[in-house]
Amino acid sequence: MNIGKTMLMELRNSWRGYVLFILVVVLLVGGFAQAYPSFSEAFEDELDGSENVDVEMLEKDEEINVTLSWRKIDNVDSYSILVSETSNMMVPVDRVDGIKTTSHNYSLQYDEDGEVPERYFAVVAVNGGDEELVGIETNFERKTPFQEIWGVDYGDIQGFLFILWSTWWVLLIGLYIGYISVNVITKDYEEDRMDLILSKPISRRQYFLEKFLVVSLYTLGLLAIVGLVLIGSIYSVGELNSVSSSALMASSVLSWPVFLVMISVSVLAGVYLESSRKAVGVSFIFILIQYGINMVGDMAEGLEYLKTYTIINYWDYESALYGEAVGVLDVAFLLVLSVLLVILAMVVFERKDIPV
Amino acid sequence: MKKKPVLKIRNLTKLYGDVVGIKDLDLDVYPGEIMGFLGPNGAGKTTTIRACLGLLQKTAGDVKIFGLDSHEDSIEIRKRTGYLPGDFGMYSDLKVKTILRYLLSQSGVSDESKMEELSALLELDLGRKYGNLSKGNRQKVGIVQAFMADQDLIILDEPTGGLDPLMQQKFYDFMREEKEKGKTIFMSSHILAEVEEICDRVAIIREGELQVVEDIHSLKEKMGKKLVVEFENSVDPDIFKIEGVNDFEIDGRRATMIVTSNLDEVIKKVSKQNVVNMSLDTFSLDQLFLTYYSRGGKGE
Repeated sequence: MNIGKTMLMELRNSWRGYVLFILVVVLLVGGFAQAYPSFSEAFEDELDGSENVDVEMLEKDEEINVTLSWRKIDNVDSYSILVSETSNMMVPVDRVDGIKTTSHNYSLQYDEDGEVPERYFAVVAVNGGDEELVGIETNFERKTPFQEIWGVDYGDIQGFLFILWSTWWVLLIGLYIGYISVNVITKDYEEDRMDLILSKPISRRQYFLEKFLVVSLYTLGLLAIVGLVLIGSIYSVGELNSVSSSALMASSVLSWPVFLVMISVSVLAGVYLESSRKAVGVSFIFILIQYGINMVGDMAEGLEYLKTYTIINYWDYESALYGEAVGVLDVAFLLVLSVLLVILAMVVFERKDIPV
Repeated sequence: MKKKPVLKIRNLTKLYGDVVGIKDLDLDVYPGEIMGFLGPNGAGKTTTIRACLGLLQKTAGDVKIFGLDSHEDSIEIRKRTGYLPGDFGMYSDLKVKTILRYLLSQSGVSDESKMEELSALLELDLGRKYGNLSKGNRQKVGIVQAFMADQDLIILDEPTGGLDPLMQQKFYDFMREEKEKGKTIFMSSHILAEVEEICDRVAIIREGELQVVEDIHSLKEKMGKKLVVEFENSVDPDIFKIEGVNDFEIDGRRATMIVTSNLDEVIKKVSKQNVVNMSLDTFSLDQLFLTYYSRGGKGE
């Protein structure tokens, strides 16, 4: 009979904040996607003259044979090879001079772990006292700092979006959603509305579920808008051929269960603590810890197992961006967790005194 | 009144941890009466009301409203009960009309005539934003919403706070009309004069315990009046040893006494002396309590 009235009233009262946040997210998400082409260029820092030098490796039992060959430079006395651990060649670990041909076999020792060491080789043309760089090349596939940390590259749009998502979209949206999930109920306490509202013939359960639904559906709508904005923005920079629009939409909308858990934790904190300030604190700490653990798990190798304990890890945004199958069990886990938390919050809310 | 009570409270107890909110409260409110619930601040009036409405979980006891269990059938009860909280707020950015319509529809009522009528009576502008209203006007919103669904039982927690005397009078008249229509009103107050003016019966609560439930007129008679007389010369205290005069005290030429009966005889005795000043007062609530307890409290 009165279904939806509480939701409607919440929207009438708070729509300005909700709309404002959508605008903020649209501008940020749309704006950052626009920056993709310049980012991707900036991270394609080729080694100087790498097109002039070829490196081939032959791994033997006791050592590695590195065969270097390079483009011939006219009128030179000889060539030198500098070997370094860094691409700036500032501290060469080895140097071979007086090479008359345009190729050279260089022997490299395995490192202490028996692995192939990563080295940069600079070929220099020597003419009298002058030295001129022919080119630099390495014996391994180069990684950007982002590749090294997250194992993804700014070089493709999926990696770019994944890094944006995991470094701060999830945090930005999560914190705002946590904030409104707490306030959707505690504001009725703090602005002394709860007595009046609950003196009408509406059950606490219905009131609670409608409040929960408002935030949940708002979040779903927000994510759908994020999906649309991404599609539009990426289309406008001409990259929609590298990522499918359905994958963009799916990756966005299917993030919903992660946020549902955040919403559930926040409403639980709200009804238990009955104070916006305290409950927002708990909600933020929960979300920041999730985020922090996930970060640490990404950065430090032996700590990857920690990520199992974070809800963010149960949503593979990156795979979804590549259009790969989404782990149904993971999504189900998030949904079940959210339902359990919501039931707990509802029981707490039904049994508590309404504070004055 | 031998009708079945609309509101029946038995042994109602509410503890906040170790602190007693209310203890073993028994009270009946009968159909068609205005019952005043009187007590100083912090006595447990609001706790009682909120426990009846299920806003607080009672520690022990039993509350029946319309013969229905206050916990099990709380939705059915709330369909038939209007409530004005002692302290309430509403959505500041919304218009009064929007808020009232929402609350009315939550009661499952679509007829807005009573809302319009009562707003007009109290001169409440429905087009204004709630947040821009003065304290008195906000109180009017609370009053309108409590009565607008035309329910059988109306529970009011300190209903006249913030209303000016003219509005209070209009509101008292309105409550009397509602009573004539058969509505039952249970209202808390800490203002004795208010309760005296409109209530049929009064229940007095102090420190969480019910002290007395009385017809308002018999209570007043029982309590008597406070007479203070200042004489020109000193008088013999023995002349006031009359039945119905209690707590006689004389301080120099100033005599204070509580007169519960034989007022005529007392005045005649007074008139035989030279009087400088005299006052005869109904008790304020504080004095009433003071007197009540000095005479032995409950069961007197």
